[in-house]
Amino acid sequence: MKMLKRFDGHSLIKALIVLFFIVFLVVPLFSILIVSITGVPINVFGSLVDPETFKSTIDAFKNSSLEFYKSIASKSGYLSALMNSLELSLLVSVVVVVMCLPIAYGIARTKMPFKKTLTALCTIPLIVPTFIAANAFIVMFGRSGWVTYIYESLRGNGLLINPSSMIGIAMVQVFFFFPYALWPMVAAFKLSDITLEEGSQNLGAKNWFTFAFVTMPLALPGLISSALLIFTVSFSDFGTPIILAPKDLNLIVVEAYREIAGFFNWAGAAILTVIMVVVAAFFFCLQHLFTKGKSYGTVSGKPKKQKIIKNKWLTRTIAGYTCLVVLVLLLAMISVLLQSFATTWGVGVLPDGYTMANYQAVFSSSFENVTNSLILASGALVLSVVIATFVSYFVVRQNASKLDFMTTVPLVVPGIALGIALIQTFNTAPLQLTGTATILIIAYTIRRLPYMVRSTVGTMRSIKQDIEEAAVNLGASRLTAAITVVGPLMIPGIAAGSILVFITVIKETSVSILMAPAEWAPMSLAIFQNILRGEYYTAAAMSIILVVLVLVLQAIATKLSKGDA
Amino acid sequence: MGSVTVKNLIKQYDGVMALNNVNLEIQEGEFFALLGPSGCGKTTTMRCIAGFEKPTNGEIFIGKQKVNDIPANKRNCGMVFQSYALFPHLDVFQNVAYSLNIKELEKRGPGTKIKTYARMINKKLAKSPPEIEKKVMEILEYVELAPYRNRLTSELSGGQQQRVALARALAMEPAVLLMDEPLSNLDKKLRNSMRATIRKIQLDLGITTIFVTHDQEEAMSMADRVAVMKDGDVIQLGTPTELYSNPKSAFIADFVGSSNIFKGSVIGQDGERSIVQLDGFQIRSTSIPKNKEVEVVIRPENIEIALGEEHPGDDILEGKVLMSTYLGSIVRYDVEIGPYIVMVDTTYQSGKSVYPPGANVKLTVDPEKVFLL
Ligand SMILES: Nc1ncnc2c1ncn2[C@@H]1O[C@H](COP(=O)(O)OP(=O)(O)O)[C@@H](O)[C@H]1O
Ligand SMILES: [Mg+2]
Repeated sequence: MKMLKRFDGHSLIKALIVLFFIVFLVVPLFSILIVSITGVPINVFGSLVDPETFKSTIDAFKNSSLEFYKSIASKSGYLSALMNSLELSLLVSVVVVVMCLPIAYGIARTKMPFKKTLTALCTIPLIVPTFIAANAFIVMFGRSGWVTYIYESLRGNGLLINPSSMIGIAMVQVFFFFPYALWPMVAAFKLSDITLEEGSQNLGAKNWFTFAFVTMPLALPGLISSALLIFTVSFSDFGTPIILAPKDLNLIVVEAYREIAGFFNWAGAAILTVIMVVVAAFFFCLQHLFTKGKSYGTVSGKPKKQKIIKNKWLTRTIAGYTCLVVLVLLLAMISVLLQSFATTWGVGVLPDGYTMANYQAVFSSSFENVTNSLILASGALVLSVVIATFVSYFVVRQNASKLDFMTTVPLVVPGIALGIALIQTFNTAPLQLTGTATILIIAYTIRRLPYMVRSTVGTMRSIKQDIEEAAVNLGASRLTAAITVVGPLMIPGIAAGSILVFITVIKETSVSILMAPAEWAPMSLAIFQNILRGEYYTAAAMSIILVVLVLVLQAIATKLSKGDA
Repeated sequence: MGSVTVKNLIKQYDGVMALNNVNLEIQEGEFFALLGPSGCGKTTTMRCIAGFEKPTNGEIFIGKQKVNDIPANKRNCGMVFQSYALFPHLDVFQNVAYSLNIKELEKRGPGTKIKTYARMINKKLAKSPPEIEKKVMEILEYVELAPYRNRLTSELSGGQQQRVALARALAMEPAVLLMDEPLSNLDKKLRNSMRATIRKIQLDLGITTIFVTHDQEEAMSMADRVAVMKDGDVIQLGTPTELYSNPKSAFIADFVGSSNIFKGSVIGQDGERSIVQLDGFQIRSTSIPKNKEVEVVIRPENIEIALGEEHPGDDILEGKVLMSTYLGSIVRYDVEIGPYIVMVDTTYQSGKSVYPPGANVKLTVDPEKVFLL
């Protein structure tokens, strides 16, 4: 009897979690797929409770066809949006890998000067949402940007780089996504087989020869995998294009956003959503295929000692180059900082004057956006902690592989796509949630849950089952064992995961802009709207507040994880 | 304290038969060893007794009580895990106090309950009541760990961790103490001293103990009785001397100590003795053969060896020394007799010379020490 009861409690929670995923992830994605072939919005939950709705859904099905997909070919807007997006992602991923090569090699294999500082500065992009970065590039390279000013005074007229162009967008993405590729590439260089390299050198090969024909081929799978990762990230990015994309440059994320937010064109938005998910999923899977077969074989073996290159000429060149990359990041952030303190900033290297008024404006009129962000992020945090803790328990202790799979699905769904799917599904009764804080929190949670789950599953795996059994053996019930043993041991994993969730939710752009109701507008939406309204200085001030907030949280996270190690 | 009875225990893991009708009767206060090679079902037996595995079939009694339906946390079996399974977030004191805190949770009101939970999560959160303090310190003194009470368990040596695990199990005053290969993570020297420590504690407290090991020397030197397991079955149960002097199968003879094992056939009787024909010679044995075809088991230390012209009596076999090896205080000879190579152990005495390879020797065996299986 007791066994039966315990079994029930566990499976009830498991069922609730599965239900959560079905209702808020599977059904929305599924119904957006249906909308893309029927061409009219459908109400899945309504069809379940109301026969009338059910009938109209069936009718919609009868009229379904692949016409709408055929229209992609004819409606040149969609096709060109897709092609442009693919082109952008390809450009960005190739440039990122090429740009990162020397830096990754420098970090992994050389004793370059200022390695620690440079490495730390390379993480700046991780704390800056791309729409803030995009805005920074306007401040630098835009028509009245200070770089443009310097360029004009040196060379004459025109722009050095036009930020509102494919090249401009690519540049922002390159500089603000490269850390996602950098660390895997550093790992690839660290792992490639040192014995082969030594062999090559023993045979009398020159250093460059060894690099080109031994080191590079060995690191190649890692590089390709990094490129594929960047491809997906760039393809799904919404913050950069929404700020920078000019009217005549169609990109799929922006196009989808316009269809839904501007024209309420469900059919069009649905088709674009399906295409986005398919493309992102394809490249995500491709990347995993690439990393799967190659475990590099060094993880379990003896640690091989790699030769650290000390050649002064080489290390200084790499360090100098890394400085240049980091300098762009620093200048971008300084530009936003200066803008946030500027009275006005006309044409010139520096603002015309300095003031605190922008911050005062934020604190007096838009402080609500800050608290909104914090409340929404806290909500998502609590929800993800609860779900992730149970999921990791089921995955680790009961081998729930389907659940494990389900929690990774959100990784392949671009934010805009998830937003559109949720809006469509929860637009009408019986589950009318669109425009509420609840659905916003749920969207944040679903989007960030994979990271949280990864963190808690890792910790759960490190807690051996016999520790839990020891507690039971000493008289503790399962619950007491969970509270007194599993709980305390889980805290580091939960803490690390929650801060990550909190940070990413505060940075979140696409879902916020698409789904947040006016009374719950978070900081990212407020900044976006300020930029649209041309209130650049308050936008800059709020951006700085956001970045500082993230920075502080990041520092706490680092401190926490160090304290435990 | 209590006896443990296991009746017809069967455990199946989807398709795999881990235990195949195990029967054990362990007396109160007995030190009982489960001995067998890896994978034979020792841990599974122990986990069934502790309540972590539900038997597919069979009954388990602790004392007079049938415990099949009693959950693991109510069985009052102290278990020492192979990995020790100490609580890494608690110090030595709170590890040992864990079971006492659990009992505290059961009997007191809400205020004490919260305090107890707090202590079990982090010792800084609440102080232990004096009676727990006293009891834990007594146990820590007993296992010589009192000075380490505030250490985290990760800051202890292997032997100390082992003693914390033991102390933690003893603190709950269990009816039965279960130990799963408790010494396998220690180095050889420490292992020998821990053997003595564990045995002394067990005798002091008179606690019924089930001790799992794959090391025959450990089982034979520590236990009152030993059950030898193979492929999910108990194939022989008895005192160490019984197993040693009367192994029921070649497997046991081999497992509990090295033996000479030859195939032969019984060709007649000489009074109480059976005469067994081997290839080229005969040998006599007092044990009663079950079949005509038998396995002859002779332990190396039960064979006497002498030079060609020296001594002996009945049943002399002639052979030639192939090799001699020192095994600590004994000398092992490999002696060739016809097609056989026979192992012979003698205690090494300083001054006495060792027979060189090639020496012609005579071997004698007492028929009482020749086993027919
Ligand atoms: N959880 C399990 N699932 C499936 N098979 C198991 C499990 N636990 C043990 N077994 C199998 O049962 C047999 C006995 O295992 P075990 O009791 O651990 O052996 P021992 O402790 O004697 O080394 C082995 O064949 C093992 O593979
Ligand atoms: Mg075992």
